Amino acid sequence: MDNQPMLETIEPEVIKRLIDRSDEIRQGSPTRSGVTAALALGSIPIALAALSRDAGAQVSTTIKNVLDFALALEIFENEFYKAVLGSSLSAAQNNAFATVRAKAMAVPGAVNTLDQIQRHETAHVATLTALGATNVFNLSATTFDFTGARGAGNGPFAGATTDLPFLLEVAQGAEDTGVRAYKGQAGNLMSNAAILEGALRIHSVEARHAARIRRMRRLAAGASATVRLSGTVRGGGASAAGGSGSEPAGVVAAFNAIYGAGANSTSAPSESNTIQAGLNVASLSGASFGADAGSEAFDEPLDRADVVAIVQPFFIPTIS
Amino acid sequence: MSQKQQMIISSGDQLLQLTTRRRFLGLLGVAGAVVMLPSVFTACNDDNGTGPNSNNFRLDLSNDIGILNYAYALEQLEAKFYTAALASAGFNALSNDEKEVVADVQKHEVIHREFLRQVLGNAAIPDIAFTAATVASLISTDVKLLSNSQLLEDTGVSAYNGAGKYLVSPAYLLVAGKIVSVEARHAAAFRDMRDIRAGNTGRMFAGDDVVNPQGLDVKAEPSTVLAAVVSLNVVSSPLSIGTGPKGTPTADMPAPTPA
Repeated sequence: MDNQPMLETIEPEVIKRLIDRSDEIRQGSPTRSGVTAALALGSIPIALAALSRDAGAQVSTTIKNVLDFALALEIFENEFYKAVLGSSLSAAQNNAFATVRAKAMAVPGAVNTLDQIQRHETAHVATLTALGATNVFNLSATTFDFTGARGAGNGPFAGATTDLPFLLEVAQGAEDTGVRAYKGQAGNLMSNAAILEGALRIHSVEARHAARIRRMRRLAAGASATVRLSGTVRGGGASAAGGSGSEPAGVVAAFNAIYGAGANSTSAPSESNTIQAGLNVASLSGASFGADAGSEAFDEPLDRADVVAIVQPFFIPTIS
Repeated sequence: MSQKQQMIISSGDQLLQLTTRRRFLGLLGVAGAVVMLPSVFTACNDDNGTGPNSNNFRLDLSNDIGILNYAYALEQLEAKFYTAALASAGFNALSNDEKEVVADVQKHEVIHREFLRQVLGNAAIPDIAFTAATVASLISTDVKLLSNSQLLEDTGVSAYNGAGKYLVSPAYLLVAGKIVSVEARHAAAFRDMRDIRAGNTGRMFAGDDVVNPQGLDVKAEPSTVLAAVVSLNVVSSPLSIGTGPKGTPTADMPAPTPA
């Protein structure tokens, strides 16, 4: 597909939104000129960087905190996929995933999918940064322990470095956590339409990722029919992950959190929830399809603290 | 910077003409500007009161109820499409794996439609009438069923992504968020099914035609989405925008026509 027309039309408009939202940036100001010059050179990173300081200065503390949190999650995802693909700046991270990487290369489309996802995560890091997010936890290639042991390297997720079905299950969990995290923060972004819209547009990309990974797992014939080919989440808790059933206890606990209710089950219900706006969507008049379809038809949010609890084992620094 | 293309549509009939539709869809694909003159909408309206409640299909997008009705209209279309699809020749030609997706999605869309109908209650727009023959033409083969499903789901994603900023109630925004990620999963599934048929590049589920270099998914304003829906020629009710949304529209990146 020829992407050029889209590149030409979309990029300046993204920039324009940033400018519109930054009241202090006026046309003709030095920043504006810098952006124009960067765009004339065809450089997205330079254009975004030219704006980041000013756009970031405009947002409220609430929004800044959401952006910083989202950035931490995106850096985590990005570094995870880079390690899997062997493109991390850390040789140790690349080496850790060498076995599973070789297995992925033998599956048609698998490496391309992981690469496509990783490219998006890199783009999300850049976009959030341009919107004003800061890497407040000083995260880098070496600040993650993908085994889930905060640096000890011997956590319950170690199997993902050698077992392809398990790696994909973990990737699905990471994407679905991202979907739930963004959904939970949308309400905190309502005061800034441009940033809200950007977050929504990242949110749906994460859902696309999760759907494709589900399909890869199911089509490889290793996953149960709980893992829907429609890419949707059936039920809640660890069973919604549709894993092998022989995962370590620490993994089961993590998936219970990823697909279960958060600490506040009102604001963050389990993915198995079928009560929406007070209506039971498993048995609506004219649409009474049961709990499976009812749970699949709506995805659920998580609160920030729930997401932090899920991902903290993979971060060496303490996050909040 | 290249000059943006612009297309002016002055009557609804123009959208029914093949060349107009082609150009229209082509422009959407490159984010050109399409101007719908008021006559497009007034032509559909029934100001002298002799027709079937045309005003009821005129959306007031200046408030949350109107935005939810907009979503309800789209869910009505999707539910109608997949319900018809289940009984189509196109469906029969799908593999079992592919049938599972269509069957799942049909349930989800009917749930979304009935959920929004109940949430809206007396404020809901009436049932939209669809042109059965045109719907049937969209699902007459397995290939058409899959590509039109992809178009509908990507359009749904673009619509929710573009409308979220107009919602005032955090509760409604959350409900919209719970639905849009499901639509995105559907879109990815249909794209992946078509990709697997075409050789499995492994990238189409979130291809570069729907996710831009900033990592952002499709997004479209209500006027863009409704114009695209009208161009499908399946809606026979006079669905239109009476009052636009409050707030500043953002640049569109509409759902692309499947290649």
